[in-house]
Amino acid sequence: MTALAPSPALTSRPARSPHLLRWLIRLHRPALLAWIAFVLVVGGLLLWVGGPLTDASAEAWKQYNACGADGCSYDVKAIGRYKDWYNYTTIAVIAAPFLVTAWSGAALVSRELESGTAQLAWTQAVSPARWLAAKLAVPAVLIAVGSGLLAGLHHWAWSTGQGRIDTVKGWHDLGTYAANGTATAAMALAGLVSGVFWGLYKREPYSALFGSLMSTGLLWSLVAIATPHLWPSVSKVSSLTHSVPAGSGIVVDQGLVTSTGKHLSGHLCGSTTYGHCKTVYAKLDAVGYYNDYHPQSHYWPLQLTSTAIILAVTAALTVASFSLLKRRTGSAPARKAAAV
Amino acid sequence: MVEYRIDRHSGVATYVQIVQQTKQALRLGMLEPGDKLPTAREVVEATAINPNTVLKAYRELEREGLVEARRGLGTFVRKGLSTTPADSPLRLELDDWAERAREAGLGRDDIAALFTAVLEKHFQGEPS
Amino acid sequence: MTGTAAIEAAALGKRFGRRGGWALRDCAFRLPAGRVCAVVGPNGAGKSTLLALAAGLLAPSEGEITVLGGRPGAARERVSYVAQDKPLYPQLTVAETLRMGADLNTDRWDASVAERVVADGDLNPKSNIRALSGGQRTRVALALALAKRPELLLLDEPMADLDPLARHQMMGLLMAQAAESGTTIVMSSHVLAELEDSCDHLLLVDGGQVRIAGEIDELLAAHRRVSAPADTVLDAHTVVESRTTGRQLTALIRPLAPLAADWQTGTPTLEELVLSYLRNPQAPTTKTPETVA
Repeated sequence: MTALAPSPALTSRPARSPHLLRWLIRLHRPALLAWIAFVLVVGGLLLWVGGPLTDASAEAWKQYNACGADGCSYDVKAIGRYKDWYNYTTIAVIAAPFLVTAWSGAALVSRELESGTAQLAWTQAVSPARWLAAKLAVPAVLIAVGSGLLAGLHHWAWSTGQGRIDTVKGWHDLGTYAANGTATAAMALAGLVSGVFWGLYKREPYSALFGSLMSTGLLWSLVAIATPHLWPSVSKVSSLTHSVPAGSGIVVDQGLVTSTGKHLSGHLCGSTTYGHCKTVYAKLDAVGYYNDYHPQSHYWPLQLTSTAIILAVTAALTVASFSLLKRRTGSAPARKAAAV
Repeated sequence: MVEYRIDRHSGVATYVQIVQQTKQALRLGMLEPGDKLPTAREVVEATAINPNTVLKAYRELEREGLVEARRGLGTFVRKGLSTTPADSPLRLELDDWAERAREAGLGRDDIAALFTAVLEKHFQGEPS
Repeated sequence: MTGTAAIEAAALGKRFGRRGGWALRDCAFRLPAGRVCAVVGPNGAGKSTLLALAAGLLAPSEGEITVLGGRPGAARERVSYVAQDKPLYPQLTVAETLRMGADLNTDRWDASVAERVVADGDLNPKSNIRALSGGQRTRVALALALAKRPELLLLDEPMADLDPLARHQMMGLLMAQAAESGTTIVMSSHVLAELEDSCDHLLLVDGGQVRIAGEIDELLAAHRRVSAPADTVLDAHTVVESRTTGRQLTALIRPLAPLAADWQTGTPTLEELVLSYLRNPQAPTTKTPETVA
């Protein structure tokens, strides 16, 4: 019988490597389309806010400022509309990392580990490490591009209003700062990786969703709290005749300077033109205000330092994810370059 | 071509069932010298039994000189057992006899018992 | 001990969690290539763990397992595995699932095999996996496993969801694969009768240990069912099970010396053999020579 003879040697040319990209796109098509739609809609809104809405609002402010004491008409609605939509789009841009982490925690790997489809993929010609590398790399590119684009558009939309709209947000406004630069895109990547980490750790969508939202929220808050301390601040001393210390930006610390040059943090009362405050300051032996703060020139140093910190956390979570997977499956260490 | 039917509850080893059914087909002239036996793949696809069982049965048939394996071609019948083709006089006589027995009111089991008893008398001690 | 081994295990153990119990411990066996092997044992015996270790889905906690001569993960392209619950992506169609197989595998992938297996089951390629019955899912999972043209096929409870007709068809398909390509097939089930006719090799897993390993024919030939007077001493043999009823002793033994002529003896059936071992956890492990790792 020849029937039992082993099958003839298969092709000797080097084996074709798996088409992971095609497979990933088919598998996560709904998420991909949703992300593209989100970026297009929010991006479109930002163009609208930075263009027509800013122009209309600036025009209204010009009318308002030209008004005499007897009053005049100006477009209140245009001012309101700019303010509202600027806030909405800022929230949307800040929400992106959380949307990403929710998806990545609930759907990207945890669901597959729970249902066994991850194991299905690993028993094709794809090692667990390669599977994870592909699952991280493809979304990472799309998320970096999408988030980067949104942060860039937000920065542009914010900058067009500078000097034209009286109530425009300063660069140091919490929401504006968070939606305006490279840290925004880095945060989205951290969200992706923390979802993957929790997915691998919990192997179940709900706890992975909870864990990844919590850790992304925690990282965001910690970075926000740490931001003022990420770069040496500038110190400015000013006269107590002003109602607040001079110098605007991200404040690290402010308070009173005594006659001996000692800094007393806080104790701000107001201008010495008020008798009450004058008494308070005299009691404290205060001779002026001090203000340790970051002026606008510190914007990029601060953004880039916080970006670097977020990316370092992201990298650590990536390493942790791979080693967790390796410990479970005993697979060979990952070579990320071979991912897609 | 023969089609094997495997009876799981017969108590007869599966490979023996294949040997017996092949011999039966040879006797009845359903298989003749030069005919090809189904390949192991064909048999196991239809019966869901282990391929080695089929090969074991074929080796047994080969050992008895009934079939031969030709490399790369398959297993072929070498020798018929067709002493009683469907239209042989002996078979026609038996056919007549069975007809008469039935007319005489004998049931299937009665006829089988009668036939077995006569076989026993003539082939005492020989293996079936 | 000739030929290559499809699977070889030495002192293999797996436990889940640092303080968890051992799902598998001290397993040592060798499965020669080209066999159709039944992995039987009670539920929770460790069958699934053993198959997952062989598929490279789990890392052993101790000991070693070698698959097709290497680390389980290294043979990934040449090994197919179908898990017990037949996981498939519910959002994909049948055709998309098969395309996934083509995308995730290498040159070994044979799309025509996958299409034939699916077409034989009257499955519409446009159906969503979500909408399939258990039997249809099994068919799609097997299509993925077979189209890889594996050298080793690991199937965890493959027939559990199938009606008798589908079970027969599917088993026929697997046997045809074994006959045509010499594929080593390892199938687990807690129902021995399901596998008895199709397998030529047996691994009995019980309580996390491999208790019997070997060719079924050899295993049966190595054991005798014995009836003898109640006062008979069986010390000269390895006794798997022995029971005394009145003046009669019945036992299943592995004879190590000629048996007394006045005993009634017979060859056990596979089911008798397996049940005797399962009823007697203290019975010694039995491995035929070529299965000793």
